[in-house]
Amino acid sequence: MPTLEDRIRQIMADETARLVPAPDLAERVVRSTRRKRRRGRIAAVAASLAVLATGPLYLTVAPGAMSTPDVSETPVASETPAPPAIDDTPSMPSEPPSFGDLGDGREFGRVKVGYLPEGLQWSNWSVNYGDRYTTSWNFDGDKNGFYCVQIYVHEGDAVLEVDNSVQVYRDEGEGESVTIGDRTGYLVVAGVGEDGGKGTPTLILDMGDQRRAQIMFSPTYVKEFADDAAVNRELRKIAEGLTAVD
Amino acid sequence: MSGAEHDFGAFVAARATTLLRVAYLACGDQAEAEDLLQTALERTYRNWDRVRHDTPEPYVRRVIINTAISRARRRAILNIVPVRVPPERPARSTDVDLRHVLMDALRGLPPRQRAVIVLRYWEDLSEAQTAEVLGCTIGTVKSQASKAMAKLRTALGETSLEGVIGNAHA
Repeated sequence: MPTLEDRIRQIMADETARLVPAPDLAERVVRSTRRKRRRGRIAAVAASLAVLATGPLYLTVAPGAMSTPDVSETPVASETPAPPAIDDTPSMPSEPPSFGDLGDGREFGRVKVGYLPEGLQWSNWSVNYGDRYTTSWNFDGDKNGFYCVQIYVHEGDAVLEVDNSVQVYRDEGEGESVTIGDRTGYLVVAGVGEDGGKGTPTLILDMGDQRRAQIMFSPTYVKEFADDAAVNRELRKIAEGLTAVD
Repeated sequence: MSGAEHDFGAFVAARATTLLRVAYLACGDQAEAEDLLQTALERTYRNWDRVRHDTPEPYVRRVIINTAISRARRRAILNIVPVRVPPERPARSTDVDLRHVLMDALRGLPPRQRAVIVLRYWEDLSEAQTAEVLGCTIGTVKSQASKAMAKLRTALGETSLEGVIGNAHA
């Protein structure tokens, strides 16, 4: 005799068996995100029209099909696009480049961390893509463990991504501008903030024309603090102590 | 196409069906599930640099579930009841009856209890994983699951449920 739980599983499977996502879902997501990022820019209008003019494409089109940097660019699709793969196990991404051993992790890339909350140690994890790099700190230094504090630095042209994100937050009325010494920043609860999830308190620090740093507290670590004000105080202190080393 | 777009496209191609089904079970409406999924993927894509090197699926699932709960609560405030979408393929009447009874019962659960049922019995997440997705304690997951199952039993009636299943498989 199957249990009620087993019956629920079976009925949920039957109920959802017919559901298939739109084949151009990824493209729509990318397009929509771009539209929001480029809101108010004349170039965005031209780029969006170029994408719309191509019509929906399967996700397996050749590289370049989802890119919209140039209105004259014509996406290249194979003659008979294969249907999208459904529920194949995604291939494991290759290990991203890292900084290697950072010691206490206080200096990474071209920035130095002057302050961290007590009890944190470097997580032995980092990612380094050159113009964007990040590392984190947690309680036990386990690189596979949860992070407590993470700092993500964008430099050069990559700062545009951060600035665009801030613009989206501003447009959506989320977060607030802050002053950190003689620098400016934007304080926002990013990520999943609905319902029980408190989101990721983030301070985006402007470290100059060519550098932005996102200082993030994990939603789990936030619970170590009495309230939001205490979290924001710590974020500000980390931002104050974050300096460039180049 | 950038590397990020390529990776994101591959991820969506591979996992969108599963995620759409989670969204549907979480909200109970196909059109809203599609919107829910796209909203979650947009949020994920905005943070792709951060989530791409971990397994992105739990992140998307978390956005879906929490957004569904948030919307359901707003809907409850507005007193709008989601409309059931009939299945497109023909099915035996007993199957349809049973599914409708269960899906209506699921829709009748408070949003967080419904999310617990979907995560525990559809996604097969552990109590700890479910707690992580919902941002609550394991104890809360246990109590919510217990209350939800009790309500489903009451709503469905174990006897009548077994009778319908028995007929369906006869």
